Amino acid sequence: MTSSPDPLLPAPPVAGRVLDAQLHLLDRQVLDHDGVPVTTVDDLELSGPAVDVEIEPGTAAPVVTALLTGPVLGTRIFGGRPPSSRLIRIPWKDVAEVGVVLRLGISGEPLDAGWVERWVRDKIIARIPGGRHDPR
Amino acid sequence: MKRLLGVALGILTAIGGFVDIGDLVTNAVVGSRFGLSLVWVVAVGVVGICLFANMSGRVAAASGRATFEVIRERLGARAGLANLAASFLINLMTVTAEIGGVALALQLASSVYYLLWIPVAALAVWLVVWRVRFTIMENVTGLLGLTLIIFAVALFLLKPDWGMLAGQLAPAVPEQETVWTYSYYAIALFGAAMTPYEVFFFSSGAVEEGWTVKDLLQERINVLVGFPLGGLLSVAIAACAAVVLLPAGISVTSLSQVVLPVAEGAGKIGLALVLVGIVAATFGAALETTLSSGYTLAQFFGWSWGKFRRPAEAARFHLAMIVCLLVGIAVLATGVDPVLVTEYSVVFSAIALPLTYLPILIVANDPQYMREHVNGRVVNVLGMVYLVIILVASIAAIPLMIVTGAGS
Repeated sequence: MTSSPDPLLPAPPVAGRVLDAQLHLLDRQVLDHDGVPVTTVDDLELSGPAVDVEIEPGTAAPVVTALLTGPVLGTRIFGGRPPSSRLIRIPWKDVAEVGVVLRLGISGEPLDAGWVERWVRDKIIARIPGGRHDPR
Repeated sequence: MKRLLGVALGILTAIGGFVDIGDLVTNAVVGSRFGLSLVWVVAVGVVGICLFANMSGRVAAASGRATFEVIRERLGARAGLANLAASFLINLMTVTAEIGGVALALQLASSVYYLLWIPVAALAVWLVVWRVRFTIMENVTGLLGLTLIIFAVALFLLKPDWGMLAGQLAPAVPEQETVWTYSYYAIALFGAAMTPYEVFFFSSGAVEEGWTVKDLLQERINVLVGFPLGGLLSVAIAACAAVVLLPAGISVTSLSQVVLPVAEGAGKIGLALVLVGIVAATFGAALETTLSSGYTLAQFFGWSWGKFRRPAEAARFHLAMIVCLLVGIAVLATGVDPVLVTEYSVVFSAIALPLTYLPILIVANDPQYMREHVNGRVVNVLGMVYLVIILVASIAAIPLMIVTGAGS
């Protein structure tokens, strides 16, 4: 047992809006720049320091680096963690707006997060007659 | 003028769309066994569904978020998933029951065995979901469902002793029944009136039709006028059963017994109309539940959804609905009685109610979503009262089901 850590300093005042990751980010809908749903925020990726590593005084606070989706939902609910190769990431720099939903500044079409949707579309739904019919 | 027509149309479809196989069967069963002594439960249920449908519609109009997105955001992934599992299974049961209901009604009309009608009914449901525009779908089934008013007409034609009928309205357990079966059917009726799919469908429909806060007034009129009138239709079904079936000692176990009072009161034409009404009402509800199963899944997982998109632009949503319909066909193909599936689905609905309605109440108070359209104080008090009622019904449902042997 090393010496007990110094009491935490109060959080420095910040400019702008304070977001609660649990309340304002997790489980929110993600839309692309055309308003098409991409996914829900299943988990968040934070930058270091790693878990179980002694934190040196003066280390910069971790920042959100990416939104995560895919198998991570299952592990978030039932425990464990998927191998990092199986994480589907949406880099934080692509997030344009955080409101009731998270809006991306890019198109959702080429994202990894949409591969199941694309697969179902190309292999099944688009092949059924009328699959590309515009209802309006 | 056009606006007035829109309001009238909205009310009419709300009336016609209110009754589904759950309401038809449960009200007839209750009417034939308990007379009108459980009508008060219908009233409680109708006020509840008005309250929460209106709230979920307001959330959808103000924030563009449908109910299940809100449920996941507020309950988190774990409780949200539990709710999804429960709601989805109940919804699947209801899809099965509604398709079975369409098939049974077609059997009554055509004398062709209902199992042969099931693939036809399911295919028709899928074609409408796949191809027909949302507003047309809703208006056509809603308006055709209005023919169920024949239950009210038949009640008058039966010339019942109105004084005696009114005397049954007081909540009291009939001699031949126990307080347990009485409570069990109270919960079934409550579940039938407040089935969660109605708010999933209602709020998602508001997004489908692109409602904004400007449409709130019309939405409120649709709900506050349409649903109570739909509730009166439910009462008429129970009253018909109470007048004809209760004295004769017939207990309702099939759809033919549900329509028997109409045939007696209004003759062949009445029978024809009631069959049209039942096909339209159950078909409409089959559409709503099928869509709701897609809505709940898509909104939980954040998939692209909606009939306003091309099917290829909401691929997983459409695939999910196809799978649900296939599962429904498979379940019915085992020969299970659709009426029995219905009776169980309404009770299970009652069990899942709290997890659905609590997040709606929370978000309807969140200014980030609602801006100035947050709940007023009266609505919040009513909402809290209903949450207590819902919780009691939900906790009591399974014990009562065991004690009464599912109401037998």
